[in-house]
Amino acid sequence: MGHLRASLFACVVMAGFLLSQVATGDDIADRAHKLHFSSIVLDTHDDTTQRFFSKSFDIGKRNPDGHIDIPRMREGGMNAIFFSIWIDGRTMGPPAVQKALDQIDAVHENVNKYSKDFAFCRTAEEVRRAHAQGKIAALIGVEGGHMIGNDIRVLRMFGDLGVRYMTLSHFYNDEWADSSTDKPVHNGLTDFGKDIVREMNRQGIMVDISHVSDKTFYDALEVSKAPLIASHSSCRALCNHPRDMSDDMIKALAAKGGVIQINYEKSFIDQAYKDASDKFSGGVVAMMDTLKKECGDNEECLNKKMTEMADKATAEGKLPHVSWERIIEHIDHAAKLAGADHVGLGSDFDGANMPEGMDDCTHLPQITEALMRKGYSDDDIRKILGGNLLRVMEQTERVSREMRAAQ
Amino acid sequence: MARLRVGACLLAGMILAGAMAADGISERANRLHFSSLVIDTHDDTTQRFLDGGFDLGARNPLGSIDIPRMREGGLGAIFFSIWMPSKITGPEAVKRALDQFDAVREEVRKHSNDLALVTTVEGIQEAHKHGKIAALIGVEGGHMIASDLSVLRVYAALGARYMTLTHSGNAEWADSSTAIPEHNGLTGFGKDVIREMNRLGVIVDISHVSDKTFADVLAISKAPVFASHSDCRAICDAPRNMSDDMIRALGAKGGVIQINYHVGFLSQEFRNAEKAHPEWNKAIALEVQRRCGEREGCQLIEGDRITREYVMRGDLPRVAWTKIIDHIDRAVKIAGIDHVGLGSDFDGANMPFGMEDASKLPKITQALLEKGYSEGDVKKILGENTLRVMAQVERVSHELNAAK
Repeated sequence: MGHLRASLFACVVMAGFLLSQVATGDDIADRAHKLHFSSIVLDTHDDTTQRFFSKSFDIGKRNPDGHIDIPRMREGGMNAIFFSIWIDGRTMGPPAVQKALDQIDAVHENVNKYSKDFAFCRTAEEVRRAHAQGKIAALIGVEGGHMIGNDIRVLRMFGDLGVRYMTLSHFYNDEWADSSTDKPVHNGLTDFGKDIVREMNRQGIMVDISHVSDKTFYDALEVSKAPLIASHSSCRALCNHPRDMSDDMIKALAAKGGVIQINYEKSFIDQAYKDASDKFSGGVVAMMDTLKKECGDNEECLNKKMTEMADKATAEGKLPHVSWERIIEHIDHAAKLAGADHVGLGSDFDGANMPEGMDDCTHLPQITEALMRKGYSDDDIRKILGGNLLRVMEQTERVSREMRAAQ
Repeated sequence: MARLRVGACLLAGMILAGAMAADGISERANRLHFSSLVIDTHDDTTQRFLDGGFDLGARNPLGSIDIPRMREGGLGAIFFSIWMPSKITGPEAVKRALDQFDAVREEVRKHSNDLALVTTVEGIQEAHKHGKIAALIGVEGGHMIASDLSVLRVYAALGARYMTLTHSGNAEWADSSTAIPEHNGLTGFGKDVIREMNRLGVIVDISHVSDKTFADVLAISKAPVFASHSDCRAICDAPRNMSDDMIRALGAKGGVIQINYHVGFLSQEFRNAEKAHPEWNKAIALEVQRRCGEREGCQLIEGDRITREYVMRGDLPRVAWTKIIDHIDRAVKIAGIDHVGLGSDFDGANMPFGMEDASKLPKITQALLEKGYSEGDVKKILGENTLRVMAQVERVSHELNAAK
């Protein structure tokens, strides 16, 4: 049985190898393939968690829709994933807390169910160990500070349950932090918001500044003792969306040792698409709102409808085509601006509209090859694929140890 | 620094041992007690952590539990109870329960020289070996999972090792012994909760539940169950206590009744006096409210204090701590020596005279020896029986997970 599986695996690897040979047939493709499949490829933002609540979804099987499942992660060489805990930012207080717990449990349960493929990880060291054992490292990020119910104790319990980053806000302001897509009410972080950042430092939970207002970003940067991450954001210089980061922000993030993990969502990476989308549906936030009427609280439905609507509009010529190569342009822009040590991947798979050619995680090796063709060194590519994020995790862990020891 | 502390500790221990000898504890009882793993399965001290201003590390003039008095009384393992009134349900209950989990976990982290948060038999034994008090967590009331198995699993992940199916009111899926029955025991979902607790290795606690709920649990649970803090109905006829038949059935399934020290469950006389004067209970409740407001830790402590004032005035009868021994002995006679343990209800109930706090625990060992219990039997009651149930619950959990 084990032998059979090993031979089967060899076949798959060989087939993959032959395919890549046939497809490109050059030296760079070969080297890129080897580099990609020997690297820790870490994605900091995937909304697949929402699908765990759908009876028709099984992460262990290849699915005809969506972007993430174990077979496709294996095929795309994606071996570390942050499952996102997310609910609409207007649900707050105790109901938000309970829904977040349901999702954390769903991640735990699915990781346990597929323990041959997944290893639940809380530290950079554990991610490396999982990789060495041929397993996919599964981690948890909470996408929105509204889910702690304005209660620092709940934040600590999330930490104890394995949450390793928290995005300070989602589309809407929460009780203590302003969002980039809402009217500012707190002038960035409130004092309690600053306490939250300090407590995250103490707990070793990475501070995620995706989604937050520029002022919240600068406040968090000033307060945090550990480097920050943007778990899924792109460059405003290439696509002027408030959810993206300005060059100044990217530079400031990097100066503090942080990483911008590039988001693949079309309206965050392509200006023409963003402009057309604003005209067509009033932008991402408004579009989600419209669809919410149809889907209610069913997040899987929401993501599905959003993709369908965008695809239909693109087919009808109402929205422009966007190529996956835009992702490379954002990576390159951020790397040129802040250095290759400060860029990574935060796809937003299963939660956003993917550009053409990045239809799911099986396409990830294209990123490695494209960076190689652009002249990036193997070392730099490994950093972008996952090394940089692991460095921030380690620094966050060190800060946590120091703060606890000083108590 | 560390050495100095150990030295001071030993010295204090010696002085105390001397004092306890004067308190009527024999050298044999002392030796036996302090070489045993003493486990208490129910303490409401968690509420005091939330009130603020309470330091578990310092000796407190009020209440029953702190590290100095646990050390003095040789308490080796304690279940901190997560509790709120049954009327708080749904997401609000979930969030409040998380606050309490955090309070326990933070308190244990803060006193990591003395306490270790553990979840297994091995963890308890390891902590004991290193001279630390094992801290565990029990959830007192199924209303806190908000009818959501995910929440139950999260509690288990945060360290909960038992859950009492109800508190004083019915849960959405289980009837309580002190409310009008509405589910005829466990509902279908309630049975799923039991199965999931078995799988997770969370002990099913039948204290507080109705007799029918208890019977349903015995039929469903694949692992032994326990009563974390209940007494014998044959001695004190409270619905919260267990009948002889129930104790026998619990024992037959390998379970344990952990004896509760609350005077209202120990003494029929006390219970009768309380019933005869419901206005006193009302007056006590009002006075508690006046002194504490919404601070629940304070309410529990002051409730005990004010009740004592009624006893001192001669309104309510004085109950001696030896009633605890009567209940232990009764349960042992009914179910056997392997099926009785200790679940004080410290910091959450009215303690009998002579068992004001954890420092008095060696008196139980002394009394049982005097009654003719063997040293091996005493050790079982002090903690070994509880450990056995935990070990069996762990084994069933492993088996159920392996079979999946």
